[in-house]
Amino acid sequence: MATPAKNIEGFYKQKKSNTSKSKSTKHAAATSSSSIAQPPALVSQGGSLDLKDDFDEEEQVLRQFDMNMAFGPCIGIPRLDRWERAQAMGLNPPKEIESILKRCKVKPQSLFDGRI
Amino acid sequence: MEVESPEQLQRKQTTYLSFGENFEIQKEVYRGQQYSQIYFARLHWMRALLYSLVPNWKSHLPVCTILGLEEGTECIIVGTLYKHMKLKPCILDEYSKERSVAPLVKPHNFMNQDDYLVLEDESGRVKLGGTVLSPSVYVTGVVVALHGKETSAGVFFVEDVLEAGLPPQIERPLKSREDKYVVLVSGLSIGSSSSNPLQFQLLVDHITGHLGDEEEQGLVAEIVHLVIAGNSVEISRGILSGQNLASKDQSRLSEPFKELDIQLTQIAASLPLDIMPGSSDPANFSLPQQPLNRCLFPGSATFNTFRSCTNPHCFELDNIRFLGTSGQNIDDLTKYSEAKDKLDFLERTLRWRHLAPTAPNTLGCYPFTDRDPFLIDSCPDVYFVGNQEKYGTRLVKGSEGQSVRLISIPRFCETGVAVLLNMRNLECHALTFGTQFSS
Repeated sequence: MATPAKNIEGFYKQKKSNTSKSKSTKHAAATSSSSIAQPPALVSQGGSLDLKDDFDEEEQVLRQFDMNMAFGPCIGIPRLDRWERAQAMGLNPPKEIESILKRCKVKPQSLFDGRI
Repeated sequence: MEVESPEQLQRKQTTYLSFGENFEIQKEVYRGQQYSQIYFARLHWMRALLYSLVPNWKSHLPVCTILGLEEGTECIIVGTLYKHMKLKPCILDEYSKERSVAPLVKPHNFMNQDDYLVLEDESGRVKLGGTVLSPSVYVTGVVVALHGKETSAGVFFVEDVLEAGLPPQIERPLKSREDKYVVLVSGLSIGSSSSNPLQFQLLVDHITGHLGDEEEQGLVAEIVHLVIAGNSVEISRGILSGQNLASKDQSRLSEPFKELDIQLTQIAASLPLDIMPGSSDPANFSLPQQPLNRCLFPGSATFNTFRSCTNPHCFELDNIRFLGTSGQNIDDLTKYSEAKDKLDFLERTLRWRHLAPTAPNTLGCYPFTDRDPFLIDSCPDVYFVGNQEKYGTRLVKGSEGQSVRLISIPRFCETGVAVLLNMRNLECHALTFGTQFSS
């Protein structure tokens, strides 16, 4: 369990100005002081700091695709391959997912990648 | 005395088609996936199949998912079976706090009367009750449809079960065939202390036509193909200890292969042969086993009649479809279920439409993501399994007129028995070779 922070505001994540909920469970385990290096959970692949905290609308849509059980498990398979598999099996995955994935700047792996 | 010039006896020919691409894994890329992917592919394919069969079975009942079960309502659910077995070895037992006295002798069969079955799909799992579904027959990994209702205890009481049944079979044209024979052999175990080189040499000489008079040679000329179903070599465990080998031991490692290659060269010069890897052969451990490397057979691989094949192996000779394995799938079923006869296991895998339902649970398997290559979508005419204790055969008839010849090929090093199958009428009998002279 994380030790209580001297600075309570630094311990709990601040609410963002936009209205989407923040998935802060991983940040709750962060150490108290924010001046030291970010904990590994926040550093995404490629070494850049994952401070943006996941959310644009596209990522939200892709996460819904990841979570949909009808297309099979999402762990260990890139999103595009999972989409193509769903298409080949005749499960009719939404076409917009394919177009989002083919445009760059989205994470190719599912939301659980690197965390499980 | 007139010396007649000997007639040239021509061996009969067949057309050969291989369906082995399904079992090859060269194109597969491992990306850290787990076995959930192959289970998903299996459930998806089998469920679509079972949904199409349910209207002919019980059309008046609703079909629902496991999470959608309501207490007391009769319905049909489809999912993958999981058998909970008390005696099945579990890696977590090593870490458990209470160290119960583990039995010193591992049982050959892990069944127990307390085993129970659970049905799973993506939405959930439910324990199965009732006496219709016997845990001694079913194993983890089989996909079935069940008719029953949920009781107040949360257990699904099974009233009836629907298996997929025999797959559809392609009609074979009934043209009048001539007698053509296929020889199936397995468990040569060259290099083991129990193998008799003379026995195998007798088999080779017989098939290549070097034995017997003209009449016998005429019969042998009707043998068109040889299939070696696994376990062709056996390397003694003492050498494989992980230590560096002295140079004199290194030759011991390669001796069995040299001997096998010499024999296979004699065979390949005479008729087409397929060699499949088995559990004791130098191929990968998990199914589907990849073909043995051609470098192991410097002499015989130069012939175009020599084919190194995957395990499981599927091919067609003159439009007769053969499907078979080297025995790992049936041996695994023997450990986790029971039957009166090995051929019962073989028939069950055909009715479940899956070659190895216990893969990947207790049988090593490659983690495929988009397909399950062990699903049987077209019914074979001949279905064989190698490396069994004894020879056995049975003709299985399906509900739509399918007809399959099941063959259990015994280990040649122990029994000296090879199987001869007549492609005209799918009858088979045993070819026994013995080297003991009874006094």
